[in-house]
Amino acid sequence: MSWQQSPHIRTFKLFSLVVAICLASFYFISSVLIPVVIAFTFYALIQPAVFYLVRHNINHSLSVLIVLVLMTITSVLMIAFALPAFLEQVGLLQDKLPQIVGKLEQFLTVYGEKLSTRIGADIDVSTVSLSILSKSSSLGRAALINVSNGLFNFIIVFILVPFLTYYLLKDFKRARNEMMNWLPNSSYELGWLIYHNVSSKLQAYTRGVMLQSLIMASFCSIGFLLIGLDIPFLMGAITGLFNLVPYIGPVISIVLSLLVGAAMTPFDPSILYLGVLVIISAQIFDNVVVIPAVVAHAVNLHPVQAIFGIIIFGSLFGTIGIILAMPAIAAGKIVFNNIYADMANASLKAAPQAAEEG
Amino acid sequence: MANIFWSNIFRRGDSELQTITQLWQDTPLFKDIPKRHSAALCATMHLRDFKAGESIFNQGDQGAGAILVLDGEVRVSAEKTQLALLKNGDFFGEIALAAPERRTADATAVNVCRLVYFLKQDLEEWIEHEPRLGSLFLMNLSATLAQRLYEANKLIAKQT
Repeated sequence: MSWQQSPHIRTFKLFSLVVAICLASFYFISSVLIPVVIAFTFYALIQPAVFYLVRHNINHSLSVLIVLVLMTITSVLMIAFALPAFLEQVGLLQDKLPQIVGKLEQFLTVYGEKLSTRIGADIDVSTVSLSILSKSSSLGRAALINVSNGLFNFIIVFILVPFLTYYLLKDFKRARNEMMNWLPNSSYELGWLIYHNVSSKLQAYTRGVMLQSLIMASFCSIGFLLIGLDIPFLMGAITGLFNLVPYIGPVISIVLSLLVGAAMTPFDPSILYLGVLVIISAQIFDNVVVIPAVVAHAVNLHPVQAIFGIIIFGSLFGTIGIILAMPAIAAGKIVFNNIYADMANASLKAAPQAAEEG
Repeated sequence: MANIFWSNIFRRGDSELQTITQLWQDTPLFKDIPKRHSAALCATMHLRDFKAGESIFNQGDQGAGAILVLDGEVRVSAEKTQLALLKNGDFFGEIALAAPERRTADATAVNVCRLVYFLKQDLEEWIEHEPRLGSLFLMNLSATLAQRLYEANKLIAKQT
């Protein structure tokens, strides 16, 4: 058997083709990637409710409509009640930003000087850090202004997402079956097996991670409120959101809560320790209770794989890439393992035949 | 008014669905399952056409579900020994509905064939919708597999 016929090489070739097609598809839909991802997330979350109604003898299309109408009413009510308070907290954060940046500049200047005297080199950490900070603070302000003023994008997403979700719930399976029909006979069963493994893992992951994020946001909001940190609900929501990014997200949350705590007037150092304590307690609760119960083994990735994946996907697709990195790598692993198993079996079958012919 | 465009693209012909439902109803897997419910399950199945001599699956492949012969003939063989010649209405590969085991034999289309794929994932979804009928189906599947095991044991005993 030549090296080109080796199952490893054949798997690598086919897997590369699959990855190239997926990346090209992502690039093609990159302008609507966010609404598409949100719609698929809703699809994964809502589908059990549709199944429940169908099981109680309600027509599938009607079930989809009922669930979507209920979801829209709930969303509108939530936005009507929570959005003003949320925007108020965003405004507060916007006001506090100069103080936060000031504290950080002060911190970096003091510790920069200490560092340069300790290592004996003439490093002007303060200049470097101040230039970084001035850039990051302007970026931060711009981001906050975008959050406050990006109403147009919000409306686009708000209109597009229910529309996409409705058609996903109604017609996704038909469209999927049509696409699977493009597979050649020799790969038909393998294609379905891969699809089934990937879709069940991704749906379980999406449901688990959304619930995990909600639990973390609630836990941290209550914790921040109890210790008296400023803008507790916004900080809790941000911590829950950052929890979607493993390993790196919790560290960013700790830094953000420290910054908000440091910018509080009058400054109380104990708020910093308590803020870190809240996030660490939330992380322990997450790892000991939430992850085993709701995320389980949906994606079982090595930390190195996860971090490399986050960096690569982040550089390719930005923020949405960072959030999609974990499920995308988990899906890639399933696809690779299934293709390899098939190729290995094919080469096992081919070896005795080749020996006989030889 | 019904949307003619979408319904024509995706909907399988009613007469074909009736034929498929009837063929599955005649198998031991669908024993005692009402026709209305069988039809709902059969509507989720997938049709594939094979050329004469084309491989359907090989021994050791991962199986995604059971297969029913709608048209044509299928040869099932292991180690170049023909185990069965299946015709219209016969089904095979049902082990894949019960366990994630690899295919235990080769299946090849003898002539031009039209096959119906009954995938495990569609069965699982149907069981979620119809748990009572789903458990009846699983009982039928167990009985079918037990019968196949009994026949295989008889064959081995005869050969030894």
